[in-house]
Amino acid sequence: MPGTRPRLLSIGTANPPRWYSQDEVLDLYHTTQPALRSLFHSGHIRGRFLYLPEPGPDGIPPLETQGELLDKHLKGAMEIGPLAIERCLEPMGLRPADIDYLVVLTTTGFLAPGLSAHLCRRMGFRDDCARLDVVGMGCNAGLNGLNPTANWALAHPGHNALQVCIEVCSAAYVYDHTMRTAVVNSLFGDGAAAALVRCCDTDSRAFAPEILGFESHIILEALEAMRYDWDSVSHKFSFFLARDIPYFIGVNAPIVVDRLLDRFGLKRRHIAHWIVHSGGKKVIDAMEYNLDLTAHDVRHTLSVLRDMGNLSSGSFLFSLSRLLDEGVVKRGDYGVMITMGPGTSIETALIRW
Amino acid sequence: MRELTTLTYEEHGPLATVTLNRPGQGNRINIAMIQDLAAVCDHLEDASEARVVVFRGANGVFSEGIDFGDFDPGKLIDIHGFNKWEKIVVRLERLPKVTVALVDGPALGGGFQLALVMDQRLASPRATFHLPEVHLGFLPGMATFRLAKYVGLGHAKRILLCAPVLGPEEALRLGILDRVSEDLDQALAETIASFGPIHTVAVQLARRLLNESFCTQFEDALGNFLAAQHRSVTQTAFLDTLKRARETR
Repeated sequence: MPGTRPRLLSIGTANPPRWYSQDEVLDLYHTTQPALRSLFHSGHIRGRFLYLPEPGPDGIPPLETQGELLDKHLKGAMEIGPLAIERCLEPMGLRPADIDYLVVLTTTGFLAPGLSAHLCRRMGFRDDCARLDVVGMGCNAGLNGLNPTANWALAHPGHNALQVCIEVCSAAYVYDHTMRTAVVNSLFGDGAAAALVRCCDTDSRAFAPEILGFESHIILEALEAMRYDWDSVSHKFSFFLARDIPYFIGVNAPIVVDRLLDRFGLKRRHIAHWIVHSGGKKVIDAMEYNLDLTAHDVRHTLSVLRDMGNLSSGSFLFSLSRLLDEGVVKRGDYGVMITMGPGTSIETALIRW
Repeated sequence: MRELTTLTYEEHGPLATVTLNRPGQGNRINIAMIQDLAAVCDHLEDASEARVVVFRGANGVFSEGIDFGDFDPGKLIDIHGFNKWEKIVVRLERLPKVTVALVDGPALGGGFQLALVMDQRLASPRATFHLPEVHLGFLPGMATFRLAKYVGLGHAKRILLCAPVLGPEEALRLGILDRVSEDLDQALAETIASFGPIHTVAVQLARRLLNESFCTQFEDALGNFLAAQHRSVTQTAFLDTLKRARETR
């Protein structure tokens, strides 16, 4: 029986070629302050894929201007974005020209025209491909984007919608040896993830989850908890993370998750797979202890964090990809995807294989 | 709740009682009992107002462990059957209620394991505890994981490898039992009174952190504690405590 809900048919992910351990980053920037070194090692992260400039004559990578960071964002995005797209489409026997709707998300660089236009020129998407660029929504954006992507697919049965999350977080770094920037510089990594969504397939044999619904939640009292500020000393955008974020998110997570599940008459125990954004160790702890999830439930969330850091909007697709690679998902299993980010927002989606 | 075939379920106000009951079968655990326990868990999690759940056995037995009747020696043994049992045990361990095992007779294998996941274990002088599995060529489920936390590694090795039948006094001394009494109903009433007001979230989180305490790095455990503590202090139970503290100051 052909499905009547949009399905997430394929995922592709990509990272920059160079992986740095936390120590390598510290040593590269000659960071000696014990408090900063300790911060880099306290967050469960072993290392990250990053676009860092080659060291200059003094052995330290040169400080990049905001203009250079924007250039790096576009250049990096045009390397990892196309790779993730190819890895997503190739197993389905598709090419960019087969895509009818392209949604591109990024928070780590501002540009017009958006990344979708650059991808069209680079990869041969059709000139009548419908596009949407979502810029600046942060780590939660992956599900804010998947909502219109799934709805577009539902409205255009049989047509291909592609969502691409592209984050070059290393293009949003400010190096000034303060705790504020070290919190960001020790956490975020670079990566891109693409997801193919299509509805009402005549071929129902493919083992792919249906997207059943979304539920959103914004915590307005914590509007400023995650934000870009303009740093007028270094003349760069500087991302800020408040230390209470895990607690705002933890307390509110059950509200939005149970609202989502109630709509479908489900309880949390009916959910076989939890695909949670790898926001950071403390926020993952908060999700575990407020939603009564086990370390096993968040194993991929933790392993993506450990291996790559917080990849912002694409993180949850990296976790989903690892879950699929495990081969444990069974037909009929339910999954809940949760992303958290600025707003402060918690976005959720229910899927079923 | 659907009809149960291997156990009886009663609920009177704050107290729910689950009685393992397979007459002539030593209340042994079979697939039907696992399904019955799952139905009881559904009810306790979704619909029950009970605060305390008591698990006991009918017919003078707590439970004699796994029923081999579900196994066919001619067929490949399905390891997932064992996993189904472990899953229901974990679910019982995490119930949003305070749980008590009342052991009046033998608790073997899976029966012993069931008692170990309860929050408190009370027994009569007729109770015995026995893990014969290793002598029978298999393993006593995740009792291998839980028992040593109660009794220490040395005693746990003896209990698994030498398979002694432990009487209630020794079980009490080892920390397997919390109380031995001729009058189990009186002991139960006193134990329930000692639980106080039972703030479900605080109970669940305290129990979880304790269960994780022997197998988590301190730094990870600290992060877990802070997340759990934050959840606790945002519940009405603690906010009420604060209000009362302010009024009496």
